[in-house]
Amino acid sequence: MTTTAPPRTPAPAVQREPRSVPAWRRGLRPYVLSIPAVLIIVGILYPFVLGAYYAFLNYAAVVRRPVFIGLQNFAEILSDPAFWTSVRVTFVYAVVATVVETVLGIGIALLLNRSTLVGRIFERVLILPLMIAPVIAGVIWGLMFNPQYGVLNYVLGLGSTFDWLGEDTAIWSVILVDVWIYTPFVAILVLAGIRSLPKEPFEASAVDGASWFYMFRRLMLPMMWPYILVAVIFRFMDCLKIFDHVFVLTAGGPGDATRTLQIGAYQNSIIQLQYSQGSTYMFLLWVIVFVTARYLVSVLGKAQRRAAGSEE
Amino acid sequence: MTRRDLWTPNRRDLLRMLGVGGAAVGASSLLAACGLGTGGDGPATGNGAAEVTGGFDWRKAEGTEISVLQTPHPYQVAFQPLLAEFTELTGITVKADLVAEADYFTRLNTELASGAGNYDAFMTGAYFIWTYGPPGWMEDLKPWLQNSSATNPDYDFEDIYEGLRRSTSWDFQVGSPLGTGGQWAIPWGFETNVLCYNKAEFDRRGIRPAETFDDLMQLASDLTDRANNKYGIAFRGSRSWATIHPGFMTQFTREGCKDYEKQGDQLQATMNSPEAVDFTRKWVELARSAGPTSWTNYEYPDCTGDLGAGTAFMVYDADSATYPQNIAGNSAQAGNLAWHPGPAGPDGSYGTNLWTWSLAMNSASQKKLAAWLFIQWATGKDAQTKAVQTGQAGFADPTRQSVFDGAFKQTLGNFPGYQETFEKVIGSTDIKFTPQTQFFETTEEWAVALQDIYAGQDAKTRLDALAAANTTAVNRAS
Repeated sequence: MTTTAPPRTPAPAVQREPRSVPAWRRGLRPYVLSIPAVLIIVGILYPFVLGAYYAFLNYAAVVRRPVFIGLQNFAEILSDPAFWTSVRVTFVYAVVATVVETVLGIGIALLLNRSTLVGRIFERVLILPLMIAPVIAGVIWGLMFNPQYGVLNYVLGLGSTFDWLGEDTAIWSVILVDVWIYTPFVAILVLAGIRSLPKEPFEASAVDGASWFYMFRRLMLPMMWPYILVAVIFRFMDCLKIFDHVFVLTAGGPGDATRTLQIGAYQNSIIQLQYSQGSTYMFLLWVIVFVTARYLVSVLGKAQRRAAGSEE
Repeated sequence: MTRRDLWTPNRRDLLRMLGVGGAAVGASSLLAACGLGTGGDGPATGNGAAEVTGGFDWRKAEGTEISVLQTPHPYQVAFQPLLAEFTELTGITVKADLVAEADYFTRLNTELASGAGNYDAFMTGAYFIWTYGPPGWMEDLKPWLQNSSATNPDYDFEDIYEGLRRSTSWDFQVGSPLGTGGQWAIPWGFETNVLCYNKAEFDRRGIRPAETFDDLMQLASDLTDRANNKYGIAFRGSRSWATIHPGFMTQFTREGCKDYEKQGDQLQATMNSPEAVDFTRKWVELARSAGPTSWTNYEYPDCTGDLGAGTAFMVYDADSATYPQNIAGNSAQAGNLAWHPGPAGPDGSYGTNLWTWSLAMNSASQKKLAAWLFIQWATGKDAQTKAVQTGQAGFADPTRQSVFDGAFKQTLGNFPGYQETFEKVIGSTDIKFTPQTQFFETTEEWAVALQDIYAGQDAKTRLDALAAANTTAVNRAS
């Protein structure tokens, strides 16, 4: 006897009723979800707000009960000629170092863009200064700058009388070290930009007989502006906050010749234990960096829109 | 259930949350301002010396582990191998944390300001007492010294040179001399600032060290030969308080100059007095004509390095810093060096400024008896004698007269003039600065002034400006 199995009908899907969430959990959920955001806000803002708050106290090692003194620290620092010397030194440093590094970085990137064997080797060598901590770079260059036993005076035939870190030369020497460390950073960034550009416009221009310089000026440079500006923003911001190798090389001297804002803040906070005065320095530096960064970012935005063709 | 039911934060909710976060931050700031986390309120615990009773016993804190903050230095290096003997004697384990000298005081500042008490004892210099003492970060060791239950009857505090004991004691009152008030640290090692010279070269030329400052200027200039990278005399010139205290302050004092004078209850800076201006002008001229080319960056290792290499013929700095250069194998000129007190002042003064590495107790320590036993042992006769005898980098100079006269003299060997120089200056060796809480700020400004004069500014004008600024600074906190 044969039997025929009845045709199978699919079992009806189990319809699950959504579990009702208790009201207390529903009420708690937004707070739980917001914990990471609050932690981030507190983590970032706490040191900043605390530091800013100290700028309004007379907090120092010798003051047992710090009290609120309003804008007195700001008034004292802003009326101190040493502060304005620091502002001048910081801006000279930042402008010169950024300009030199940008020009050299673009030049090196253009040279390395031709992917020859030598170019590829140089690409790898180029990154070496970036792998050295700036403090160590400062120590190395300090030894090289020494007139008595440093290699620079010997190689350049300057004898033992030329002082690289003297009153008139110190600022240029510390900029030289900055250029040595960070030009590769600009070059690598610009090189990445060059290699991401479309080839077609360049090929079309070449067919039309355009010169290399014309293509560079009219095609490459406008399209490269966003990359260059990113490098400029990074370097300029970093230079405004410069401390490490300058401190190792000169500690801000001779006199106040290389006393940047960061070094001024360090001297106030750590050497002199005037914590509030150091905080005030840092707060003022933050204002300078913030305003400058806002301006440069707006310039970058315009450059990006122009490169994308959405703005003349 | 719609997404809306799950609560989508609107702008008002976000603002509310930010408000809560901001309030939390603000509250934290206010708490901090009230002293929490600032360490501004000083010690959290009492002195503790009075709690030690009964007879003295090294094993009273047996089983304790203490942490000590130190910087690698010949004194510390000499003592490190002896710590096992301390543990054997007391049953106390010592955990020594080392921080390089360049970063040492930054770390110490942070540690003490936090009030956390992570370190029970630490190395310090006398000047730091003037800053660390007033906020209550350091323990007064006088009650410990005076308690016979806590201090070995054989300890003999008076055996430590008088100038050193006085240098580490102050009452924190502006204008009070050193030697008043509490004993904030116990001297462990120290240095006098005198002249070290290349005796072999001097003998070859048939010359002797100068006995007056004018003669020293002439001699150093005569020895300078820039074409052959040789120069007469090295001393510090960097932008730091440390530029002022060795050779400069020593000779400044010998020439009859003072840093401050007390007028009423205020201090008046006098580093612009006629004699101070004259001396400063000469000192800077000496640096320019016979000093290292890169003088404004010179620290003591640069100075002693040039002496050891034969580039500099003389160094005016700490005797214990030049001492290692004469130990065989340490430098090219080892065995060629000798010591001299340096030029006497016009009145024959050999007043000499000193530096002392001392041991102090953190007022926030929870293990004060163990910390005191460690300090007591390290600054005692037996341990110092052993450190002098076994310290491979040298242990110059011991702070105890009995150790200097005993073990240290036996280790001097062929260090010409070292002992004679020491004995000539030790009676007038102490801290020549007027103690005041703004020491580091005002003394660094003094170094900056020297650099400015070196760069060409008029000495009188620059020192007038310095004195005005420093007078304001030292009286600001009083």
